[in-house]
Amino acid sequence: MSIPADLKYTKDHEWVRIEDDIATFGLTDHAQEALGDIVFVELPEEGRTVNAGDAFAVVESVKAVSDAYAPIAGEVTEGNVALEATPEKVNEDPYGDGWIVKVKITTDDTSHLMDASAYNNYLEEA
Amino acid sequence: MNTSDQTFDQTSEHNSNDRLAKTPLFDEHIRLGGKMVPFAGFEMPVQYPLGALKEYQAVRDGKAGLFDISHMGQVRVKGAGALAFLQYVTTNDVSKLTDGQVQYSALLNEQGTFIDDITTYRINKNEYYLCINAANRHKDVAHLKKHATRFDVTVSDESDDTVLIALQGHKAQQLLQALTKTNLDDIAYYRFAIIQLGDANAIVSRTGYTGEDGFEIYTPNDNAIAIWSALENSGAIPIGLAARDMLRTEMGYALYGHEIHDQVTPIEAKLMWITKLDKGDFIGRAAVEQRKREGKKLSMIALKLTGRGIPREHYKVVSGDKTVGEVTSGMHSPLTSCGVAIAYVEPEYTASDVLAIEIRGKAVLAERTSTPFVRSNVRK
Repeated sequence: MSIPADLKYTKDHEWVRIEDDIATFGLTDHAQEALGDIVFVELPEEGRTVNAGDAFAVVESVKAVSDAYAPIAGEVTEGNVALEATPEKVNEDPYGDGWIVKVKITTDDTSHLMDASAYNNYLEEA
Repeated sequence: MNTSDQTFDQTSEHNSNDRLAKTPLFDEHIRLGGKMVPFAGFEMPVQYPLGALKEYQAVRDGKAGLFDISHMGQVRVKGAGALAFLQYVTTNDVSKLTDGQVQYSALLNEQGTFIDDITTYRINKNEYYLCINAANRHKDVAHLKKHATRFDVTVSDESDDTVLIALQGHKAQQLLQALTKTNLDDIAYYRFAIIQLGDANAIVSRTGYTGEDGFEIYTPNDNAIAIWSALENSGAIPIGLAARDMLRTEMGYALYGHEIHDQVTPIEAKLMWITKLDKGDFIGRAAVEQRKREGKKLSMIALKLTGRGIPREHYKVVSGDKTVGEVTSGMHSPLTSCGVAIAYVEPEYTASDVLAIEIRGKAVLAERTSTPFVRSNVRK
């Protein structure tokens, strides 16, 4: 199970990469594995504001419909439109080409997020 | 992420306090890495490490898929009154069956609505074998036994003693042929033979639920692993419930609990082809005839999304701002690369109206189509 050291994580199995004032959200390797083959991703509209914990995208596997929750607050600047044609990228490359949205960060509070080792412990306890 | 719609977590439909049953192939599923979920009172594999999409593709793309469907029930009906009894409790015309033939059929209640859909196997004129849905087993058996008292017949529930393995896909015959001297070419579509397989006899029918050529194999529990392992070792690919549901939905095959239930008659379910009103009296006949006179209450339609999205069971079918029906089965169809659905709509909305499926509050346009959604490859 891959858990990159440079990302932060939520208990709901989303990851966030923070670069200056832009944050990228995606689903963790654990999440994509649990969901199984992803066949559809519904992206948010650009300009939408999300608070930490808000559903920002819908990810559908063969067998289930799932909400993805924003790790931190921000304003959506870009959705990964490549996922509309190739949603399987979320399975194949969850931390790379399978990213879901980028947001402009509206708060720098990341105290509720886990680092890689905390997320690893969280997965092992679960 | 939070998963809101676990299609295969059916515990709520059954008594979740009951301990889940295991099929005789449970250890094989664990060994093969199957992800086990509660289904119809059993712990069944929803998928294996290959994943549902690749499992689906294996069956569609010319390989052979191996399915444990032992959760399904089997009932043996024996006695001089077997034919008369089955004519009375099932919808299809059992008198048309010859030895070694299989017939798709249904059990109705007095209201003409479904108790179950079944297959009837004629072993000989005084002995028949029924395959019934897992979730309906106890209900079906009680219904059959209740009516059997008026006939010279015995009804025995053999579900606990029988495994049912399906082998489906273009390569199915080749793999199964390696295990038997019986020429499988002699088993035509919807025919069966009782043959030596593994360490015991098996009922082998050319039937299935995938739209591909293939077989269903009924055999005693202690013969299960021998057959399963032989097929798996020769290259058959284990297939879980998720891919199985994709395969059957893409063919537009009705599934009990979705298109077939106790609120619809064979008229609504488009199953009048297995309901022979002219064969003599049977349970539900009068009610079906009455429904025929009054007109169907719902129309079953097939829809293909023209917009993006995946239709799912219970999503609303809308026409303008009016809700006109509900999806009973839906999926992303890999072969057509779009969302497809089977739905029940009010009869007046079957013609040329513009229909849409409501997905998370948005109406996604859908066009009327017909089933199967993809070409059937069954060997008729």
